[in-house]
Amino acid sequence: MELYGIFEWIYGLLADTGLPEPWLTFVVYLGLGVVIFGTLSVLALFLVWWERKIAGHIQQRFGPMRTGWHGWYQTIMDAVKLLQKEDIRVTTRDKAVFFWAPVVCFVAAYLAYVVIPFGENLWVADLNVGILYIIAVTTLTVISLLMAGWGSNNKYALLGGMRSAAQVVSYEVPMAVSILTIIVFSGSLSMVDIANSQQGNVIFNWFIFKPPFGIIAFLTYITAATAEANRTPFDIPEAEQELVAGYNVEYSGMKFAMFFLAEFVNLFTVSAIATTLFLGAWHGPLLPSWIWFLLKTFGMVLLLMLFRWTFPRLRVDQLMEFAWKFLVPLTFANLILAGWMKYAGWHW
Amino acid sequence: MTHDEIKSYIEKTFGDKLTLLDTGRCEPVFEVKLADWHDVARALRDDQTLQFDYLCNLGGTDTGERLEAHCQLASIKKSHRVDLKVVLDSGNPSLASVRDIWPAANWYEREMWELYGINIEGHDNLTRFLLPDDWDQGHPMRKNWDAPDFVRFPEFNA
Amino acid sequence: MSPLRTEEFTINMGPHHPSTHGVCRLILTMDGEKVLKVEPVIGYLHRSIEKICENRTYVQCVPLFDRFEYVTSMSCNMVFSLAVEKLAQIEVPERAEYLRVIMLELNRIASHLLFYGVTAMDIGALTPFLYGLRERELIVDLFEMTCGQRLTYNYIRPGGVSRDIPPEFIPKCREAVKIITEKMSDYEGLLNENPIWKVRNVGIGYLSAEDAIAWGVSGPVARASGVSYDIRKNDPYSIYDRFDFEIPVHHNGDCYDRYLQRLAEIKQSLRIVTQALDGLPEGEIQPKKKINAITFKPPAGEVYARVENSRGELGTYVVSDGTNKPLRVKMRGGSYNQLQALPIMIKDCLIADLVAIFASLDVIMPEVDR
Repeated sequence: MELYGIFEWIYGLLADTGLPEPWLTFVVYLGLGVVIFGTLSVLALFLVWWERKIAGHIQQRFGPMRTGWHGWYQTIMDAVKLLQKEDIRVTTRDKAVFFWAPVVCFVAAYLAYVVIPFGENLWVADLNVGILYIIAVTTLTVISLLMAGWGSNNKYALLGGMRSAAQVVSYEVPMAVSILTIIVFSGSLSMVDIANSQQGNVIFNWFIFKPPFGIIAFLTYITAATAEANRTPFDIPEAEQELVAGYNVEYSGMKFAMFFLAEFVNLFTVSAIATTLFLGAWHGPLLPSWIWFLLKTFGMVLLLMLFRWTFPRLRVDQLMEFAWKFLVPLTFANLILAGWMKYAGWHW
Repeated sequence: MTHDEIKSYIEKTFGDKLTLLDTGRCEPVFEVKLADWHDVARALRDDQTLQFDYLCNLGGTDTGERLEAHCQLASIKKSHRVDLKVVLDSGNPSLASVRDIWPAANWYEREMWELYGINIEGHDNLTRFLLPDDWDQGHPMRKNWDAPDFVRFPEFNA
Repeated sequence: MSPLRTEEFTINMGPHHPSTHGVCRLILTMDGEKVLKVEPVIGYLHRSIEKICENRTYVQCVPLFDRFEYVTSMSCNMVFSLAVEKLAQIEVPERAEYLRVIMLELNRIASHLLFYGVTAMDIGALTPFLYGLRERELIVDLFEMTCGQRLTYNYIRPGGVSRDIPPEFIPKCREAVKIITEKMSDYEGLLNENPIWKVRNVGIGYLSAEDAIAWGVSGPVARASGVSYDIRKNDPYSIYDRFDFEIPVHHNGDCYDRYLQRLAEIKQSLRIVTQALDGLPEGEIQPKKKINAITFKPPAGEVYARVENSRGELGTYVVSDGTNKPLRVKMRGGSYNQLQALPIMIKDCLIADLVAIFASLDVIMPEVDR
């Protein structure tokens, strides 16, 4: 299976029908977008269900059980329910900002998938600045959270928005620096190049197995990624016991569902990046490449879910201290040492 | 200290400021004169033998004829207890605040003010407390109070 | 360049807020995330139970006390029964006293287990809640077996208890005690040394021993501040002087010590339950001269009875004028004073700390509003 091949095949078919050129490319890319969007939405629905099942089993209960086998279509029913809900709009809202916040959040969550390789030859575009692009677009989420907080004209929402801005901006630094450590190893910003440089030698070419820098970068990345995805112990923007629900307190119906789905897409994104950068991307024996990629990514998602249902929540100032006083110095030291070793010509 | 020791010690120390009543079924109950209330309260807390440093309870009572304030004190250090009672002036019920002696009295006094209409002298925050903010139907814990929209069921008396 | 101007703002926490445990409203004055001033506003659950009691006969008052503090209804039944028994000088049969102690201590354990779960949830750990409730369920099942109710028991009545325990109660109770004793290590393992838990709780919401006494704070909150005072030891009621147990005390007066204090109290309560089950005698559960629910008239007098429940001193002041209805019933709950003392604990605290402090006080709003 080769996404680019399919792309060219469809292009050829459409060209035969005699569609003029700018429209032809537009239609093909639109179709591709719908495919990616559909896959990810289904994946996000599955992740919601999976998280509920995991939470249930950690807490000595079953989770959803009534809708189908082990409640498999529970989230589909939830989505249908949310679609039917009244769209409550606060009268004191900032109309434009309130409306566009969930849209920006939703779009930003999906943008990263332009460059993420799902398997061998299974990517939309191989940008030569791939990882830089990902860092840039995932940060767009914070703008949407700020918009939601401000547009709702609600003090709790505003506090949630401010918290998320502070948090995401802070954790962006250690996250980017730990990614830089990987770029030192791979020598390229392209996601595909990074993936390919981890090929072979069973699993020992994976960047996580480049001690000590790889493992430190992995751990710092995972910590920062948990904060980026707003999950416990760093789920401070939506701390339900303090801020009720934080930035999305005034949203209902489909707008809320967009925030909710975007959160799970983000969860999948950070796990997919971790897989590509540290866990050898799609490389693995016997099974098809995309299965390996999904297996590894779901493993990472599982890890993040276990965090959520085990840890208490940090306080906002402790969160900042942890980022600036611990993670940032650690990642910078790691990067400098890794760079120096590379310059000295030490090969792993 | 046992009950008898407390009784004799208080009678010896405070003389006629505190009068022992015979209504107490558990701890000794003393009646305090309205004018002496604040001084007696402070003296009971500061007395080195008694050391009533802990206010258990403070509230009003409407017996149908008169308004009273009741107060239960305990000593954490000495593990003993005493009950006090103050008979209030029915025309203009008023009591000195003991917030400066036991800060815990704060809410108890607000409650007395609101539910019994007992004016607390020296309390700076006598505002609506348990009842709704727009309450204007008097003091519901008084015996002669009747809710305007209340339908009374036939009484059964044995 | 002129300095940055910041502005204080007022935020309304509650009455409908996930972490105010009922309908309490806190008016917060905030500077960004920092809480400068907190003002509790109560009364949303005011049902005027005290006034209703004045229009009911003595035995009819007992179910009203169930609604006073519903998490430990047994203690509320107990305190009113104690007051009436002192008023009328009623002798309680030996077996009833033992049953009362078993129920009171089981209820204390259930309440502290609920605290464990709810506090963890307020700090953001969602899983311990289910763990706490799982073991609480064992106790609630025992209550259901005994009196048919799971929350408002109406079990301890003036003179004794309402009905005897079924024969399978004792083995089930022993099994529950054994399970909870084993699970205690799970609870402690989940949170006690968890670094996030410690950083959120240690040193937060400090209350000194002097302040605790002056503000009338009692129970586990006061004992966590180093006030070694427990009514079961210092002013014994029922038959508590017969059992061998200790009063755990912690000295730091912060949220973490309040949490440890409650876990330590569960262990002592388990000891008391075991001893009471061992010593449970055969015999009557009601006094020989039965109390008629309508015609019962205690002699005139007044009494203040108090028991130690899981939230501190639970007291009631009952005045009798010789008729079949009390002249005055005043209720006093531990939460009332603890909520009153909340503004002095919020020094240098953020909104997240306020949630932790509020949770550590274990306030039950019906007890405050009555």
